[in-house]
Amino acid sequence: MNDAKQVSFGNLLMAYSFCRLVPGAISKRLWFSLLLQYNTYMSSVVVVKLAQSPDGKFDSGAYRRLLEIGLAALNGAANLKSALAAVLPGGVVGFKTSCLARKFNSTPVALVEALTGLLIDQGFDANDLIVWERTSRELADAGFVLNASSQGVRFLGTDANGIGYAKGFSTSGEVSSLVSRIMTDMIQHSVNLAVLKDHSVAGLSGGLKNMYGAIHNPNKFHANCCDPYCAHVNNLAPIRQKHRLIIIDAVRVQYDGGPGYMAQYMATFGALVISRDPVAADRVGLEILEKLRQDHGRPSLAQAGREVKYLKTAKTIGLGEEDLARIDLKTFIVDELGHAEAGELFG
Amino acid sequence: MKRRDFMRCLGGGAAIAGVSQSPWWPQVLGGVQNAWAFDVTTKLSSVEARHYKKLEGGGIECGICPRHCRVTDLERGFCGTRENRSGTYHTLVYGLPCSLNIDPIEKKPFFHFYPGTTALSLATAGCNVDCKFCQNWEISQARPEQTTNYEFSPQDAIDTCKARRVSTIAYTYSEPVIFYEYMYDIAELGQKNGIKSVMITGGYIDEQPLRELIPHLDAIKVDLKSLREPYYRDVVRGELKPVLDRLIQMRKAGIWLEIVNLVVPTLNDTDQEFTELARWIKTYLGTDVPLHFSRFHPQYLLTELPITPQITLERAHQICRAEGLEYVYLGNLPSHPAESTYCPKCGAMVIERRGYQTRVVGLAAGRCSKCKHLIPGRF
Repeated sequence: MNDAKQVSFGNLLMAYSFCRLVPGAISKRLWFSLLLQYNTYMSSVVVVKLAQSPDGKFDSGAYRRLLEIGLAALNGAANLKSALAAVLPGGVVGFKTSCLARKFNSTPVALVEALTGLLIDQGFDANDLIVWERTSRELADAGFVLNASSQGVRFLGTDANGIGYAKGFSTSGEVSSLVSRIMTDMIQHSVNLAVLKDHSVAGLSGGLKNMYGAIHNPNKFHANCCDPYCAHVNNLAPIRQKHRLIIIDAVRVQYDGGPGYMAQYMATFGALVISRDPVAADRVGLEILEKLRQDHGRPSLAQAGREVKYLKTAKTIGLGEEDLARIDLKTFIVDELGHAEAGELFG
Repeated sequence: MKRRDFMRCLGGGAAIAGVSQSPWWPQVLGGVQNAWAFDVTTKLSSVEARHYKKLEGGGIECGICPRHCRVTDLERGFCGTRENRSGTYHTLVYGLPCSLNIDPIEKKPFFHFYPGTTALSLATAGCNVDCKFCQNWEISQARPEQTTNYEFSPQDAIDTCKARRVSTIAYTYSEPVIFYEYMYDIAELGQKNGIKSVMITGGYIDEQPLRELIPHLDAIKVDLKSLREPYYRDVVRGELKPVLDRLIQMRKAGIWLEIVNLVVPTLNDTDQEFTELARWIKTYLGTDVPLHFSRFHPQYLLTELPITPQITLERAHQICRAEGLEYVYLGNLPSHPAESTYCPKCGAMVIERRGYQTRVVGLAAGRCSKCKHLIPGRF
């Protein structure tokens, strides 16, 4: 899930043990290379915020400005095109939305328009982009215009005619599920377009929780604040192997009463959280959620009996980084002209 | 073998083979076929669920089964068939079965309930447990959007029974507890129209809903999957104690009760477990409650295990009979002698079964024709 050049401590330890057992098996050069990569190992998360909190509608232009800055910064590339090529190197891209809360608090149409528009402008074929959700009805209820044809950006649910779920079970830990064929058969790269919100059972609903919409039996995996299930859903082979990028919409955040929409518990944060590491992105999202809860006089999730334990489990099984100290968090404040400067997460 | 016996075996075999090809078998999560002339619908029902309480902040707590799911707006309980919509809990499957068929009552299995008759059998999507061996996982572990459903009201169920001359409705295949409201209304309407109702269940239901339901039912078959809590936790994803409590409740209520135990190789097939099972039934329910040992076939998430050896089932039969249970049967073993019913007093065969071919051979007015011993059940 992390950058391809990153080396986990476990792998480093294995390499060291192998080196001790078979002297000369690993050259000094390779050994130093591994060490260097370990030392520089950090999960990168970029938070891009608008300079002024938007009071009104957050349109696709605003989203586009955030995406351009955020995606380039995430990959440290010279330009946006090479940054995107590093993350999505050809093939069909699927965008898993989060549309449970209908048009009130789902993945915004404006965000999807901005992202797909940006990709098309950078040379991606519109026919290779699939925006999807568990059901077409949920997509439509969130304001998307369905398109199940073979032309243009497609908008469809797993229940669309001829799609459905893979025949064979995918299993990780206690989770055994059929995964959407959109994920298993139709796309090569998955972009997780989550919405940051409180969840009455899981505590946090972000990127990892969003993938419950990719399996046929999500209702079976909510016990114990979704731990360890949420981690294992994301560890199902088709989901883990195709994950490339996560973008969490934290423009307006349901800081309590989620995952459905409750107007009285909505707050504006005006940001996107972008990462290749879904655990690190959720961890930063959790910081934002807890801060908003605190600002609005709500107890912490742990105090509310909904401690988010599944992030630690996700780290344990190698999905990403949960430790804030090991997350390279960069925050950019973006003005109306698209100029960005470094800022603080809660500046 | 006499010609008549050969034809019976052929009939039994055909009935079993028909299961996998019968028109009701739902190809869920894909296409579907069904021989019934009822309209297919993609709509979900929005009938308010029973037995739940509203919580602060728009949440609800379901009270149908011991799981007591707490569900917030737009979310569903474990069963996947009940949804909170703005603080009101709805059943999404009322009047929307995904499986419909007319089965021999022996297929449920009921061996002491009007033997040789048939039952209109129906199920909706969903289940409140997640047995790793489930034979009907394609519907039980699905959400109603993932199955092909039919518009089939309680009145349609009664009309169908009358048209097909079927005297019983069986709520079966998945877990009827999760379509409680639908089952309840059919059973109540059936009662007024002389149609009997039987529930085939895992028994994972709360005390109050069961108490209200029992007066409208005529028999219950419970899958008692094990007497070990870890088995319920790890293989069933449920709890044992509430099931045992409900069995005792059913027995005290006087409703006709039969029990099935699926014997899964290496998981619940030791002599000690068979002995414990027999002793618990003898102690808390009585020796006259029929117990069916059923043969496991690799399914769903337990595809690596072998089919239960016949000798294991025979051992279970032997142990339970030795412990004093009077009616112990072996299932999924067509034409095995232990499919038939024998008088526990004189040993005479009273009901002969070969697969789903049933003949009452020594039973008159509920008594053994030979020694007049009372055979419990509904005949």
